[in-house]
Amino acid sequence: MKALVVLLALAAPLALAAEEPVRLDSAPIDPRDVASLQSGARSFVNYCLNCHSAGMMRYHKLLDLGLTEQQVKENLLFTTDKVGELMNVAMTRKDAKEWLGTAPPDLSVIARARGADWLYTYMRSFYRDPESATGWNNMVFESVAMPHVLWTLSGQQVQVERKFGNMEQAEAIGRQQKNAWKIDVLTPDQAGKDGERFILKTIRTETAGSLSQVDYDILVRDLVNFMTWMSEPNQVTRKQVGYVVMLVLLVLLVLTYLLYKEFWKDVH
Amino acid sequence: MSDQSRVNHSRRSLVIASACAGGAAAVATTVPFAASMLPSERAEALGAPVEAEIGPLNPGEKMTVEWRGQPVWILHRTKEMLEEIKQTDGKVADPKSERKKDDLTPEYARNEYRSIKPEYLVVVGICTHLGCSPQDRLKAGPEAFESQWTGGFYCPCHGSLFDLAGRVYKNKPAPDNLKVPPHTYLSDTRILIGEDKKRA
Amino acid sequence: MAAAEKQAVTGAGPFNGLLTWIDQRFPLMETWRSHLSEYYAPKNFNFWYYFGSLALVVLVIQIVTGIFLTMNYKPDAAQAFASVEYIMREVPWGWWIRYMHSTGASFFFICVYLHMFRAMLYGSYRKPRELLWIFGMLIFLCLMAEAFFGYLLPWGQMSYWGAQVIVNLFDAIPVIGPDLAIWIRGDFVVSDATLNRFFAYHVIAVPLALLALVAAHLLALHEVGSSNPDGIEIKNVKDSKTGRPLDGIPFHPYYTVKDSFGVVVFLIVFSIVVFFTPEVGGYFLEHNNFIPADPLKTPMHIAPVWYFTPYYSILRATTDEFVLWVLAPGVVVFALFLIWSLKKSATRIAVGVIAIALLAGLLNLDAKVWGVVLMGTSVMIFFFLPWLDRSPVRSIRYKGPITKTALTLFVIAFFVLGYLGTESVTGGRTLAAQIGTAVYFLFFLLMPWYSKMDKCRPEPERVTWK
Repeated sequence: MKALVVLLALAAPLALAAEEPVRLDSAPIDPRDVASLQSGARSFVNYCLNCHSAGMMRYHKLLDLGLTEQQVKENLLFTTDKVGELMNVAMTRKDAKEWLGTAPPDLSVIARARGADWLYTYMRSFYRDPESATGWNNMVFESVAMPHVLWTLSGQQVQVERKFGNMEQAEAIGRQQKNAWKIDVLTPDQAGKDGERFILKTIRTETAGSLSQVDYDILVRDLVNFMTWMSEPNQVTRKQVGYVVMLVLLVLLVLTYLLYKEFWKDVH
Repeated sequence: MSDQSRVNHSRRSLVIASACAGGAAAVATTVPFAASMLPSERAEALGAPVEAEIGPLNPGEKMTVEWRGQPVWILHRTKEMLEEIKQTDGKVADPKSERKKDDLTPEYARNEYRSIKPEYLVVVGICTHLGCSPQDRLKAGPEAFESQWTGGFYCPCHGSLFDLAGRVYKNKPAPDNLKVPPHTYLSDTRILIGEDKKRA
Repeated sequence: MAAAEKQAVTGAGPFNGLLTWIDQRFPLMETWRSHLSEYYAPKNFNFWYYFGSLALVVLVIQIVTGIFLTMNYKPDAAQAFASVEYIMREVPWGWWIRYMHSTGASFFFICVYLHMFRAMLYGSYRKPRELLWIFGMLIFLCLMAEAFFGYLLPWGQMSYWGAQVIVNLFDAIPVIGPDLAIWIRGDFVVSDATLNRFFAYHVIAVPLALLALVAAHLLALHEVGSSNPDGIEIKNVKDSKTGRPLDGIPFHPYYTVKDSFGVVVFLIVFSIVVFFTPEVGGYFLEHNNFIPADPLKTPMHIAPVWYFTPYYSILRATTDEFVLWVLAPGVVVFALFLIWSLKKSATRIAVGVIAIALLAGLLNLDAKVWGVVLMGTSVMIFFFLPWLDRSPVRSIRYKGPITKTALTLFVIAFFVLGYLGTESVTGGRTLAAQIGTAVYFLFFLLMPWYSKMDKCRPEPERVTWK
């Protein structure tokens, strides 16, 4: 990562203000934590399904999370009345485009496309931006059309910029952040009189929400855990079958090896 | 050579052991492929039980509900219709619904009227001959196919006749009575078709 | 009558009667003998010789899993992506069938590349095996086509834009290009029409061609017999009584048994990927392909799947500068060199004319066109190996230092080009790709000379067990 940063910094004179990719936080998800998955399912259904569909996911599959059909019906069935249905939303793509500018993407496999780390950092990188259409912006996804749906929980954040003369200093402060941070590198011309070219962008909470930062992070963690599970619900089975298959193949390996050696005794 | 026979023995057992293990593994591998051809979750979901609201169904009226791609008829029988069923006992091939009981007539329908509640007939509306859907001929009165018609269903494909309890007439192409699907009453006005046991 | 003269089948226990009945009506035992129990293969096959049978195993895996995928996949632009997820989630064991197919596609290329490399190491393409090599190259072309058509089917962002970019390459062909591209697509851009026909190619047309070519490949092999790591002909030294090659052993049971061990090892590696890491970090299943195709939004970073990246690199390396400063002078230098070293005046004139025509093209046509030409040539040039290699010996074991160096450099260039093809374009990377391209082509173009002048060691009379 540092090498990339240095390389880009060196290449800066050749380009315009080089933008660093945002450093992603590692999502502390545990796919075996059923409680976390269930909590994430609840968050997903409550907050995301209003605009986003998960059209390749059937409510019935939620039973794999240790829930009963009754629990699913009572707590998680919002857009339909049948557990056998897919998690679609009522809003059509056409309407979505009109109302929101762009259709919210289907989230069934978003965790495989973006990765858990990206989602985890994204949901914790919103900040107020009076110049954007929604009033919100996001450090991971510049000018995103999605508003900060969870702002009542996380509180309102703003972006803070700090200038530094060198990359190491900027990075050192950046790494102390509990939220997302990134460094923009200006060319010497753009830097202005003080010559400080390294702009550290971080997020600071201005108004607290109903959850503390720790609790909000846990909520997002559970949500991302769920979305990772949802993008491949069979992943646990996959590994279990894998162990059995490896055992069988190991037995076959021994047998075929002995067979090979036995027959090849004849060959000199 | 004694050496030869020793070598052959162990070779043979190895071959047999490997062949068996390999064969077992090969057979085990075919299982998931065959299983993949079973109804998927989507098919199961689409085949899920269906609820029917019978509140608005007046006496003498019939409604059709789709379950697993098949038409299921719910007929609200009048008192006259129930009387007429008694009259067809002699005309139908299997008056007590004894043929293929387990397939066609669940326990709770093994009675005079082939239903849980006498006033509601619930049957799959598919002729047991070759699968056409019979037409309603609910009113009693002379018909072209039967001068003493007491009400029921007429299949236009090959002329099979069924009475108001879904029982097939004698000497007609269809061999069996109309199938009574598994069903249960969730309340006086709601029937769940496709399942016997009440969902909690 | 031949049937009455045939001997009864023995050694099959209770099946003797049935097999005899069949054998009297079908060349069963003849086939068994000539291709298995009495097909004599060299006894010194090493690790590199596993990959032919493994490629066959992968072909079977792809066909079987492909059939079952086709049972549930919908070749319709509106339904394709969701139907793949349907298979992954709702068809019993569908996830396993899908992962085997996606993993199999990549492993097919791993096996085939290693199989081809074996041929390069041991001169398996040399006379009398040139046709065998040609069939193999045709299989390779079909494989690339099969992978290309198949990759559109999931209808993800990479599927769509990869197909769009590659079909647009045909657009670059002078005069007929644009119409050709429309004809290939069945539309003005990659669309549902394209998806449907690529499905037809992928499921029926190319697999049939592949099966026919594999059969031809095996028949051609058995006609002349397998080569071996020492590159010598085992048929040269035969037993005086039986007429069998002294260094040969019957394929069955020796290689059937050895290959079954190889298959199990392969299945272990294969299963580790399928069950524990089917995406392989985005190389076997690309992350961007989990986003449904969007004709209005191009992903930032379009790269072909890993097995196409070396050729993609060569395509991108062919810039205007490369054409002007490397290709054009290269054509001139090479033409002069050829004219100097060849004797026949007719050939010299031909070389001259072609060189002038090439030069005219290089200086007047877009670099884009030459990128496509170079990319195509980088694959087609393999066809000519049997005639480019003029070494007196077949196997690298007995070739000299120049050839060994050349081959090493080629391998490094191939890997470097492959890696660069996965990354985005930068000035430094383009230069590296251009150097790689030059090494890649020089390996082939200079081979007629360096293979001849290299100092070789004498080949042994009998095979060795190195």
